[in-house]
Amino acid sequence: MRIRLRPLLIAAPVLVTLAVTPLVAGGAPAQDGQDDDDLLAVGRELYLTGCASCHGETGEGVDGPDGDLRGPSLVEAGEAGAYYYLSTGRMPLANPEEQPIRKPPAYTPDAIDALVAYVASLGNGPELPDVDIGDADLANGGVIYRANCQACHSASGSGGALSYGRAAPGLADATPLQVGAAVRTGPGQMPVFGPDIITDEELDDLAAYVEYLKSPEDPGGVPIGRTGPIPEGFVAWLIGMTALLALVAWIGTRAPIRPRSAGRAPAGHE
Amino acid sequence: MSDAPRQVAGETVLTRRGVRVELASAASFVVAMLASIGLAVVYWQGGQPQAEGVLLALALGGIGVGIVLWAKHFMPNDEVVEEREPLESSEEDVAAFTADFAAGQSSLRSRRVLVATAGGACAALGVAVLFPIRSLGPRPGRGLKETPYRTAPIRVVTNEGEPLRPEDLPVDGFVTVWPEGHTDAADASTLLIHVRDSQDFQPAPGREDWTVDNIVAYSKLCTHVGCPVGLYQAELGLLLCPCHQSTFDVLEHARPIFGPAARSLPQLPLDTDEQGYIIATADFSGPVGPGFWDRDR
Amino acid sequence: MARDPTRLLTHRLARWVDSRLGAAKLVRTALNKVFPDHWSFMIGELGLYCFIVLVLTGVYLTFFFDASQQEVTYNGSYAPLRGVEMTAAYRSALELSFDVRAGLVMRQIHHWAALLFLASIAVHLARVFFTGAFRRPREINWIVGCTLLILALLNGLFGYSLLDDQLSGTGLRIVYSITLSIPVVGTWLASLFFGGEFPGPDIIERLYVIHILLIPAAIAVLLAVHLAILVRHKHTHFPGPGRRDDNVVGERLWPTYAAKALGLFFLTSAVVAFLGGVFQINPIWIYGPFDPAEVSAASQPDWYMGWLDGALRIMPGWEIRAFGFEIPNPFFPGVLLAGITFLLLYAWPFLEARVTGDHAEHHVLDRPRQRPVRTALGTATISFYTVLFLGGAADVMAATFGLSVNAILWTFRILVLVLPPIVAWITYQLCKELAARDGVPIASRVTWREIPGRLRRRHAAAEAD
Repeated sequence: MRIRLRPLLIAAPVLVTLAVTPLVAGGAPAQDGQDDDDLLAVGRELYLTGCASCHGETGEGVDGPDGDLRGPSLVEAGEAGAYYYLSTGRMPLANPEEQPIRKPPAYTPDAIDALVAYVASLGNGPELPDVDIGDADLANGGVIYRANCQACHSASGSGGALSYGRAAPGLADATPLQVGAAVRTGPGQMPVFGPDIITDEELDDLAAYVEYLKSPEDPGGVPIGRTGPIPEGFVAWLIGMTALLALVAWIGTRAPIRPRSAGRAPAGHE
Repeated sequence: MSDAPRQVAGETVLTRRGVRVELASAASFVVAMLASIGLAVVYWQGGQPQAEGVLLALALGGIGVGIVLWAKHFMPNDEVVEEREPLESSEEDVAAFTADFAAGQSSLRSRRVLVATAGGACAALGVAVLFPIRSLGPRPGRGLKETPYRTAPIRVVTNEGEPLRPEDLPVDGFVTVWPEGHTDAADASTLLIHVRDSQDFQPAPGREDWTVDNIVAYSKLCTHVGCPVGLYQAELGLLLCPCHQSTFDVLEHARPIFGPAARSLPQLPLDTDEQGYIIATADFSGPVGPGFWDRDR
Repeated sequence: MARDPTRLLTHRLARWVDSRLGAAKLVRTALNKVFPDHWSFMIGELGLYCFIVLVLTGVYLTFFFDASQQEVTYNGSYAPLRGVEMTAAYRSALELSFDVRAGLVMRQIHHWAALLFLASIAVHLARVFFTGAFRRPREINWIVGCTLLILALLNGLFGYSLLDDQLSGTGLRIVYSITLSIPVVGTWLASLFFGGEFPGPDIIERLYVIHILLIPAAIAVLLAVHLAILVRHKHTHFPGPGRRDDNVVGERLWPTYAAKALGLFFLTSAVVAFLGGVFQINPIWIYGPFDPAEVSAASQPDWYMGWLDGALRIMPGWEIRAFGFEIPNPFFPGVLLAGITFLLLYAWPFLEARVTGDHAEHHVLDRPRQRPVRTALGTATISFYTVLFLGGAADVMAATFGLSVNAILWTFRILVLVLPPIVAWITYQLCKELAARDGVPIASRVTWREIPGRLRRRHAAAEAD
């Protein structure tokens, strides 16, 4: 049975949030002061409405009619997984066949907090790391990035092709917290980098470097993508060679036959 | 050329268009002058690549445009014809050359022994002076077929030299390791991959105990042309080499399933030592990296 | 006319030199040399001027570059690499880019000039090919030109590999592995060239000597030979009124042609300077220092090596293994294809002469439509290498357009075999139609079907002798 999920997914959280806000607002004055139980309750409501049809009522995953996975189990997702997918808008996903791509999030930040808390409670997945790029070591971040990340996301963070139509996304829109969440949860095809491989301190450095890659120093001029020889080759031919050929066309004759300068005085040598 | 200066009553006169072209040419030279001064100022003030490039381009381009305008409009532009002479030397020249050369050659020809031994000496010297090329590099030897793992059992360590326990690598985890003490060995870079229980891992025959807790180890060097196979697609269990898109199936002894690589990535047998750290129990299952003539011998 | 003191000075200087060299007659002949000035004849000059720019900027760079592979720690002004370990070579490249005034613009001009040097050679090659300028007596110059192409290609590859950044180091790894794949002697050649197993302790220093001394010297000598032969033969010219095989029609060298050439030199340098200042090229600080265990997505060589990279990618995973020996996969696209490419290039004038039976001297050029078979083979070859080029960009195309890189590579595997014959046929028909429409006679009577017959006949005739 195909449910028309999309309009429901957009309408439902808005309605639920509107309904639930008095409950939440009636509690502590600041966002941080929400009662944990309230948060979980809100999260559970949101989850059941927007996620359970693909991920199961208790996050155990749902198989499609052909035996394919309609929605994977969320038991291992944890805070990090839920935060990554929800804050980048990759979830909710209309078509499970396609690779999820970054979109404007379907939920408000408060709703995301609630859902994250609830999904984390379903299993024992990775926690959301506490990413602080304030005092980070940028150079060390670069070393870690090049050792672990550039093979898929490219040295400039513009992403890259994977097999069979999948792609490692560009990192231009990733916030430091999203970087941390992705590293710890390994969304989609991405491997998982646990705290023994990339420590929390190194994660801060890494997130700082990813932030730097959004607008690195470009002392050489127009960066043409920073991906290297392909755009450079295009510029060489389309701008360089075109200019040079235009110049020789200006300087040389165009027709093999040049009309003789009949009846005119020969140009003076002095 | 219509812009060419003409002599009228003993004075040089330009056409109206000629005046405009002269102005344009002079202006180009002036632009070049100003750009050169600007370039010097920019340099003196600390330099700035974009300004340097643009000003240099204006300076060079100004001179170039000035010269070309001058050439096209004020220099003679007639079609001139030049005859081509036959390229071959004339019969007399060839005959004279042959005669002179033969005269000198006869003294060479008549001393056959000398010619032969001189030729032999030069050939021998030519061969001998090639020998120092041998100093350029070591004999290929066993190096291509062995890695520092041959001193196994040996711990595997990260780039910082830290050994790893199986629990340090989460499911879907992916890390590059080296034999302990050899983190700068270019041929020993190794991938440790923690596959999921749900993924159907099929060890090659004889390699059933080469993994530890679902952690499998393969050489990181692609068997195509040696690039590090740095992309792990965790959900599909595939290793993708970014250089030429060779794809290896992690669940089936890293055999190539797409792309130009023709051989699986060699596998490293793993175990744990008494402290619980991951160790390699032997060298890789085959020579790492790209193929070569006597790889199988 | 008033006595011009400067004129008197140059006059006296010229007489002084002449009294020691006696060159007046020679120089006068040179000044009066006639050069046809069609714009397409100036493309080779573009290459020459790019080479001059390369040498001038290159010399400047050599004063700052350190070709050493010694491990050092960076402490310069580029913060994201401070404290990182790297080779002295890479560090000197960073210093050139960030701490030497005008260093970055010189580096970028040098690299853009290299890209344009090869592009000019490629376009010049195409012009010479399609107009039949390689025919007798210019076969020697064609051979010299092909050699210049190979030398320029190698020097570009070695040049950008000197910086020891991640991208070019990956390229060197591929060079090493292709060398390794050569049967029998591959492991020896690789070990001798690199000084051991990859990466080897000496490769940057060796490439430095080759890049700044050996190849530029060879290019300079061959360029001089190339120009000398051109002067000896006089330039070719297009068909037109008064133009025959026993004359040359054009402009005198002095003053017009020389001025135009000089102007073009300045303008070419201006284009390269503009690119060098405005467009960033080879941002090695983003790539990071070379580490043999690391690699970036979207790693490609410079454009002129793209065809080789593409060939490596689309080649299916076939190897030959027998009696314990093997010919590994990279040999076929990397060595065999490259070897056949250049062999055919060198042999073309002789092949064409053999097939057409035309051994006469030619100084009047063909218009491409007059030679449908040659033109069709030329465009087919260009399409073949273009598909290979695009193959080298397969992963970037996949990422940019959201396609499957596997599907792209499969498409190119098919295209590379199927497209050239289609392009050849279309070109052939187009040439015949254009020639018929313009009333231009087809210069050669050779058709596709005749070629095998002609080759057989020539072979039989040769055997009968």
